[in-house]
Amino acid sequence: MTAFTTDRRTLLAGAAALAGLSALPGRALAQGAPIKIGTLTPLTGAGGPYGPVMVKAVKAVVDEVNAAGGVLGRKVELISEDDQTSPEAGVRAARKLIDVDKVSAILGTWSSAVTTAVAPLCWESKTFLATVSGADSITQLPHQGYLIRTQPNTTLQGRKFGEFCIAEKAKRVFFLSPQTPFAKSQFDNITEAVKKAGGETGSLIYDDKKPAYRSEVDEVLRFKPDAIIFGGYTPDTAVMLKDAYRAGYTGLKVAFGYAVNQKLVESVPAEVVDKTFTIAPSPAEGSKAYARLVKMIGVASPDPYTTQVYDQINLILMAIAIAGDTSGTAIKDAVRKVSQAQGGAKVDNAIDGLKAIAAKQPVDYDGASGPCDFTETGDIADCQFRYEQVQGGKLALVKIA
Amino acid sequence: MLSYLIFTLTLCAIYGLLALSLNLIWGSAGLVNLGLAGFFAVGAYASALATGAGAPVLIGWGAALVVGAAVGLVVTFATLRLRDDYLAIVTLGFAEVIRLVALNERWLTNGSDGISGIKAPLKAELGTQNFAWFYLGLATLVLVIVWALLRRLDASPYGRALKAIREDQQLAAFAGKPVLRFKLQAFALSAAIAALAGALYAHFQSYVSPDHFQPLITIYIFLAVTAGGVGRPSGAVLGAYLVVIFLEATRFITEWVPGLQPVQLAATREMLIGIALILVLHLKPQGILPERIPKAPVPPTTA
Repeated sequence: MTAFTTDRRTLLAGAAALAGLSALPGRALAQGAPIKIGTLTPLTGAGGPYGPVMVKAVKAVVDEVNAAGGVLGRKVELISEDDQTSPEAGVRAARKLIDVDKVSAILGTWSSAVTTAVAPLCWESKTFLATVSGADSITQLPHQGYLIRTQPNTTLQGRKFGEFCIAEKAKRVFFLSPQTPFAKSQFDNITEAVKKAGGETGSLIYDDKKPAYRSEVDEVLRFKPDAIIFGGYTPDTAVMLKDAYRAGYTGLKVAFGYAVNQKLVESVPAEVVDKTFTIAPSPAEGSKAYARLVKMIGVASPDPYTTQVYDQINLILMAIAIAGDTSGTAIKDAVRKVSQAQGGAKVDNAIDGLKAIAAKQPVDYDGASGPCDFTETGDIADCQFRYEQVQGGKLALVKIA
Repeated sequence: MLSYLIFTLTLCAIYGLLALSLNLIWGSAGLVNLGLAGFFAVGAYASALATGAGAPVLIGWGAALVVGAAVGLVVTFATLRLRDDYLAIVTLGFAEVIRLVALNERWLTNGSDGISGIKAPLKAELGTQNFAWFYLGLATLVLVIVWALLRRLDASPYGRALKAIREDQQLAAFAGKPVLRFKLQAFALSAAIAALAGALYAHFQSYVSPDHFQPLITIYIFLAVTAGGVGRPSGAVLGAYLVVIFLEATRFITEWVPGLQPVQLAATREMLIGIALILVLHLKPQGILPERIPKAPVPPTTA
């Protein structure tokens, strides 16, 4: 019954919004055309679990800003398209956003392949693109500044894994991963960090659809590793951990936060996964922006992508305000003036930011995903990582650094 | 809006080529090829790699045709004894094999990062907007040429022999038709056309990755050929245009549906596509332009 009530409410709210919309044009015209922003997130396909919440976060910010009078005295209009987690469909959706809706910026592209396919359309049409994809190759594209990403790239993540193993006194580190966009660069950067401390590394790429990994585990153990880094996703990592346990491996185990999650911990016997460390880019939990986001969208612990896209929309709206112009080129030139202005006023949301900009103050935004400072090429300069360890069937926080 | 229309029409032409490829092998020869996305990928990668190594774009397209046909021959030899459902499953597996090879052979295909910056012919000389017009014309021209050739083939004795094999393989063999040779040729030709479509796509988008070639494309093309009319080239092309235009139109239709979240709109679009297929099959089971089966000539009556 509850589910039905929620549905009806959503419907009513939607109907009300529509009724409101039809009353809008007169007023909107008086204020000038709305500023158009597009989201291109996966709503169906492999990324389906993430996209809808991301859109919700963006929508919440846009609604809040509109309620406070919009940007440059104009309303912000949000257009959401689905990339179907496919570059082919993503390009079609992006063309519609760019050519028909004429959006100033597109945000939220998730899959690295979609981002790589959409990026050229954006820089050719001078539309700004903000993405949460992690593949290193993305910021190396000739994007002329029209692209930023809030996800730490693989170079940074790989280094953190390598440094962590060294800090835990492991000298022989083995990296196990299915074929992913980041497997190779991940391994290269782990190797760089481990070699620097005089250690050795080995790696194995496996097929993530197999029901058992005995032969793979045998190959890993022949390397005599002190540490194994599990680079897979939840289902294959669960099988891999079991087989490693059966084979008697007792060394250090490290995995991605998205793979070894509470669901995995509960689904395998406690001794199989006990003492496993997880590393994940940390949202700035405990920051004011994070608390605001939680309250705005009503999700207790939003995933990293949602925190990132929340920061992206805040940054873009402030960039438009400080530039006094809605074009993609203006956003490109202004975004670093609001993300990392020297000695700027620290703000954690667009409303405060817009006020500061109106008062001619410089702005330095610190968001829900982290400090949001960008390098020349569009990567984030630094990001905190969250280290957890499985202890007695629970994930316990070790440190955020 | 204009560049969006140009883009959509260019995509229509590329899908039209794929539909012609499927129509040849499925509509004419009766072999169900669920591996269309695989041949599409082969062509895209062949041309991307050839031009990446310095070859001009036309040579890249030639390479796509040759490699596509060769891969088509290999697949036919591997599936000689299979028909119907069994063939369909194996070709589906083939497409997956191609995708996995593209994903894992990093030295050749750059793995899941894909190949970006594929040469777009004359783009630098023409500028973005003129290039869009130029490529639309080029893709449409290729489509028209292939369509005209296949239409001719369809009406020729060769096409009739293929349809005889589709209807009854044994009977065709009994009538003295070399069934194996016909099948090999038809499959190779169909694969080459799909590969050419892949090459056109690669140079249009300037980027290919394994994620581009998911089975969904094959399903869209089956939808196109079914809706347009199986066994008739004009039907296949019409179906392809309708499918792409319909896919894009659903974006604008769903904007008029009140009170839905973006995720529900996305799901509604997919439902509309399913409903459209059901409607077409229900109202026009032979497709919009059904196959024309020429009447057998009446033998002259002797007095």
